[in-house]
Amino acid sequence: MQAPSADETIQRLIFGLSELDELGETIISGHGNFSVSSRTYLRMILGTLQVSGGAILLFHPNENTLTIKSSVNVADESLVIRVPPDQISGFLDHPYIDLSNPPEVLQPFFEHIHSQLQSLDARFWFPLRIRDEFLGVISLGAFFDGHEIEDWNRELLNVFANHTSIAIAYSQLMVRSRAERFRLFMLSDTATQICKSLDTEAVQEEVVAHVVSLLDANAAGLMRINPNTERLEMKSLFSLESHANTELRNLSIPLKSDENLHPALTMLAEVATQEDKTLIYNDEQNAALFGRKNLIAVPMRGREEILGVLIVADKVGRRGITLDFTVGDSTLLEAFANQAGVAIENAFLYQEALEARRLQAEMEEAEKIQRTLIPDTLAQIPGYEAFGLYQPRGGVGGDYYDCIPESDGMWGLAIADVSGKGMQAALLMATLRAGLRSEATRKTDLPAMAFTLNSLLNASGDFGKYATFFFAQLNAETNQLTSINAGHNDPMVIRSGGSCEWLKKGGVMLGIFPDDMIANMPPFEQETTQLASGDIIIFYTDGVTETTNINDELYGEARLQDTAVRLRNESAETICGAIYDEVLEFQGEAEQFDDLTLMILKKK
Amino acid sequence: MLSGKFDVQIREEDGYAVIQTEGYLNGPRGEDLAETAKNLMQKGHTKFVINLAETKLINSIGISILIEIIELLEERQGILNFCGLTPTIEHTFKLVALARHAGIFPDEDSAIAALNSP
Repeated sequence: MQAPSADETIQRLIFGLSELDELGETIISGHGNFSVSSRTYLRMILGTLQVSGGAILLFHPNENTLTIKSSVNVADESLVIRVPPDQISGFLDHPYIDLSNPPEVLQPFFEHIHSQLQSLDARFWFPLRIRDEFLGVISLGAFFDGHEIEDWNRELLNVFANHTSIAIAYSQLMVRSRAERFRLFMLSDTATQICKSLDTEAVQEEVVAHVVSLLDANAAGLMRINPNTERLEMKSLFSLESHANTELRNLSIPLKSDENLHPALTMLAEVATQEDKTLIYNDEQNAALFGRKNLIAVPMRGREEILGVLIVADKVGRRGITLDFTVGDSTLLEAFANQAGVAIENAFLYQEALEARRLQAEMEEAEKIQRTLIPDTLAQIPGYEAFGLYQPRGGVGGDYYDCIPESDGMWGLAIADVSGKGMQAALLMATLRAGLRSEATRKTDLPAMAFTLNSLLNASGDFGKYATFFFAQLNAETNQLTSINAGHNDPMVIRSGGSCEWLKKGGVMLGIFPDDMIANMPPFEQETTQLASGDIIIFYTDGVTETTNINDELYGEARLQDTAVRLRNESAETICGAIYDEVLEFQGEAEQFDDLTLMILKKK
Repeated sequence: MLSGKFDVQIREEDGYAVIQTEGYLNGPRGEDLAETAKNLMQKGHTKFVINLAETKLINSIGISILIEIIELLEERQGILNFCGLTPTIEHTFKLVALARHAGIFPDEDSAIAALNSP
């Protein structure tokens, strides 16, 4: 090919430099992108200097590689050239490299990449840099006319190289700025998103999902401190593996030091317990913990205390290359973890408040049910006085008493205490009452009735729910009282002369054992007591005798008996009121949690 | 536990192609997506819809790669429309100016229809 004339060369130079100006303006205005402009730069360089082919290669400092951004007449565009970090200074020191005679310091490197240079068809390299930052190279092939590179060619190429370097730096700045904008937006948007939910588990899942995106990572875990077990427990995981590691999903670390613990787990526990402790593992061997490439962990704080630890792992860049977690990542993660901590605490407090409100509503409903089950006034038995009193204390319990008219001058007298409180206790009590009323009117014998009621309660209640129960059938004509006591506080019979007897006979409490077990136990027994004029019976629940005073002393059966004996000549209503007043006086300022129920029967 | 399973489905129609992603769009997966788009461009496609309805998470490298796909298409005077974005992803696209070079539509039908509108 014939060498170009001086005029032609000048024309190409003028054209090339004016294009360079335009390109510079486009880049600075922010409308261009380097993918497009790098191709323009290359075409401009090749056209102005009449070079057969070439490429612009970008350097990736995280990976220490050069990859082709744009190329003309290059066989393999997917070429990746590894640059050892100790070679970088060689590029910074040489603005122009003739590959047929490279600087001594770079000779081993170029010998090593000889085949790659061939696929690039490279003759000259012009390193691209801004100050001490190596950005890439312009790689050029031979001149069309085969001439050697001249000084003015080198000077012009240095101008192009400087221009291209500025464009690369600007483009990288734009990418970093975009990434920072993305992270700041994610930080603020995520805070809004996670605070919207008031479901603790949902918030925790949102947190781990967003934090992987925030740190360009592939895995994250949220561990919470369990104050009861004093352990750090895994609550939520995000992983790219579809099958989570069971060991990781169930990870639980003691907060107190344990010599047998993996050092990394000990450090995680320290993040949860020590102020300003952050863990960064970029060393792949150490981070092999959980099978991860690297990881970072920061404390997750609530308003007043550390709630747990947020762990992020596997920060990965392009081509799957692992990137180190940086101090900047740690700062960002701490800010995010603080937002997450407050959101989780809010959700937890909301759920607690919701639960408290639900319990309150349930208590109110249970109280309504119980009020309908306990008689306002007791049926009046001919020849007798009967009076009852129920006082709820510290929530709705399951106390019950009743006086049930039967046929042929018979009367049923019942008192019971169902275990637990709230709706469940009220419903169990309703079941007992319905069963009792049904059985009592059928006049079955009392042990058989107790067996049936036990069966009914056992079938309808949860495991561990039971009722203490006392029932008596009074023949108001013969004054004979037949009774059965299924684990209830023994009612006391105060005779007119002041002596006392206890109605103990019966069997186990109702509802706790199934029929087959009850059948293998000593059978329910009943007893008969003959009442005479002036005799009284005190029926009561443990809320009376187990009332405590501020010295933690029990009111007890002895005080109840003494009071009943002292007041035995009074009416049933007077005795009932006086015992109640005395119990309250004994209680004083001490707090009580059990309902107080009394029923008095007096033979006139 | 949340999982980051990722999948790319391609549907080539007369005059356009629809790429549907599923899962977390990070760097390596973004590169898979870019490779898919480049292959379709080499086959002559210049009008694309990327349906992100099943992608709820994307990171900054994923965004950069989407921008590069847009740049490649701009060189070919092509069009790219996104659809099915979560509010967060849509906001992110607007914030990083990605939305200036690509359309954002609520669903696939409207995104396809817009490819052919003048």
